[in-house]
Amino acid sequence: MNLLWKLLREHVSVTQLVGFFVANLLGMLIILFGLQFYADILPLFQGKDAFFKREFLIVSKPVSTLGSLLGGKGTFSAREIQGFRDQPFTRQVGTFTSSLYDVSASIGMLGTGMQVGTEMFFESVPDDYIDVNAQAWTYEEGSRTIPIILPRNYLNLYNFGFAQSRNLPKLSEGVLSMIRLEIRLSGGGHVEVYDGRIVGFSNRLNTILVPEAFMNWANHYYAPGKKAEPSRLIVEVNNPADEEIVKYIQARGYEVEGNTLDAGKTVWFLQILVGIVLFIGIVITFLSFYILILSIFLLLQKNTKKMQTLLLIGYSPVQVALPYQVLAVGLNLGVTGIACVLLYGLRRMYLNNLQTLFPSLEGSSVQTVLAVAGFLFLFVSIINIGIIHYKLRQIWNGK
Amino acid sequence: MELIKLDHTLPMAFSGQVQPVSDVWHRELSFRRGEHVLIEAASGTGKTSLCSYVYGYREDYEGTICFDGKDIRRLKTGDWVQLRKRSLSMLFQELRLFPGLTVWENIELKNKLTAYKTHRQVEECLERLGLSDKLRTPVGKISFGQQQRVAFVRAICQPFDFIFLDEPVSHLDDANAEAMAVLLKEEAEARNAGIIVTSIGKQLPLNYSKILHL
Repeated sequence: MNLLWKLLREHVSVTQLVGFFVANLLGMLIILFGLQFYADILPLFQGKDAFFKREFLIVSKPVSTLGSLLGGKGTFSAREIQGFRDQPFTRQVGTFTSSLYDVSASIGMLGTGMQVGTEMFFESVPDDYIDVNAQAWTYEEGSRTIPIILPRNYLNLYNFGFAQSRNLPKLSEGVLSMIRLEIRLSGGGHVEVYDGRIVGFSNRLNTILVPEAFMNWANHYYAPGKKAEPSRLIVEVNNPADEEIVKYIQARGYEVEGNTLDAGKTVWFLQILVGIVLFIGIVITFLSFYILILSIFLLLQKNTKKMQTLLLIGYSPVQVALPYQVLAVGLNLGVTGIACVLLYGLRRMYLNNLQTLFPSLEGSSVQTVLAVAGFLFLFVSIINIGIIHYKLRQIWNGK
Repeated sequence: MELIKLDHTLPMAFSGQVQPVSDVWHRELSFRRGEHVLIEAASGTGKTSLCSYVYGYREDYEGTICFDGKDIRRLKTGDWVQLRKRSLSMLFQELRLFPGLTVWENIELKNKLTAYKTHRQVEECLERLGLSDKLRTPVGKISFGQQQRVAFVRAICQPFDFIFLDEPVSHLDDANAEAMAVLLKEEAEARNAGIIVTSIGKQLPLNYSKILHL
């Protein structure tokens, strides 16, 4: 083997092999880094306790000037709602039902005998979507008490905006839930007064909510014959970071409250970026792989006569191919090994930085990426071995 | 291997041409173990072609060549590798040495493959052919006559049933030709091998049992 190697290594171009080595190392590192980085930061966007977690989306149609002037309704048809239900990313879809009757509420200021009143509205969503843990969230027909959920925003607005600037007392949730509102409902020839009780505050639902059971009854009672068309939908999704949601919603021109879909967009950009990085890595690896093949072919070409002679004095094609195959596989092994070591170093660097930003980040396992590295090594090596074997067969048959 | 049989073998290049009478081409001809055959020929009559056909690295001939009754066209790569290691030896006209390797390395490359001779035996052979001071010299730096002797020593570093020598003494003086002939005879007798020598003029001095004109 030593003598054979001494003979066959003539014409081995160190420059070419170094070129291959560096290029392949770069390509391999880019591929592995892209995959590992993607795997490491994806949990930030996904999962139960994800950083960007929003399980619900509130979808509406945009209110346009033209639509307003022409009296466009901006409500969702049954077909559009079903369309949402049929999407793979959807877990369930609920509709916001608006009150079709007049609502006014008034509050008696204790000790002053004054009544402060306001026109208002109610909406309801299916009870599943309520994020307030309220045992009182029920309505039985005939009851004169209506449970109400207010957006927490309203309370914050009052406490931190209005009360602060006017030196009024701040109100806690507990105080507010003790207030009795006088609710007057009118429509369809009926006028009745109910007790309104604030049972909770919602972060998720930016509206004044009453139980769906009450809403159905009241719409039927106060506005018989009118049909409530939902103008907002509440959609529970499997994974809010799913970029399919963004695509679906954008394609139909819907609007989503807040920036709940940013995670989806970010993941989508991330995937595109990772895609580009992987593509570049693959191109570089492919080119470097091509350089190696060309170098080996050139080397074999320059040594053709020697190999012919070796075959003629009794060496088998397998024996003659072996030094070149060992060379190629050795280079590939070196590239894979060094790429893994460099990846380890880089990963520690970025994980340290990321963990200062997101302490919950643990980093995913490295097994997948190691498996990819192993696969690339095997793939490239097997092709190298095959090509060298093929070339030797050609030399043998060239006789 | 006991018998090499040529049955109406003819180089394709000669096919369709009017042939001068030949003892080899387009006839039935056998080489047996133990025979010493001299094939004499003018240049361009196909000596080297004959060697390439029998050694399995060219197939541009008509007719058949059989080893012990087996058509050599049917032999596989592995069969040829074994034949070249165990049964057939060849001293090529163009020698096919590696000029970058030393005399010793050129021979060792073959001897390591067959593990046939000890270092001592190889040295002895080289000594008998007057090459003992050239062991460490690269083959490219010695004369063609010396290279012929190196290639000869390489050719006998293996077991064989037949040895082909394609113009082995074209660049040797009589004394060296004689030394080579003696060594060859010893080696062939030790293996009870057949010797087939080609020549265009100068002959390897042996007692030939058959002289053929190509």
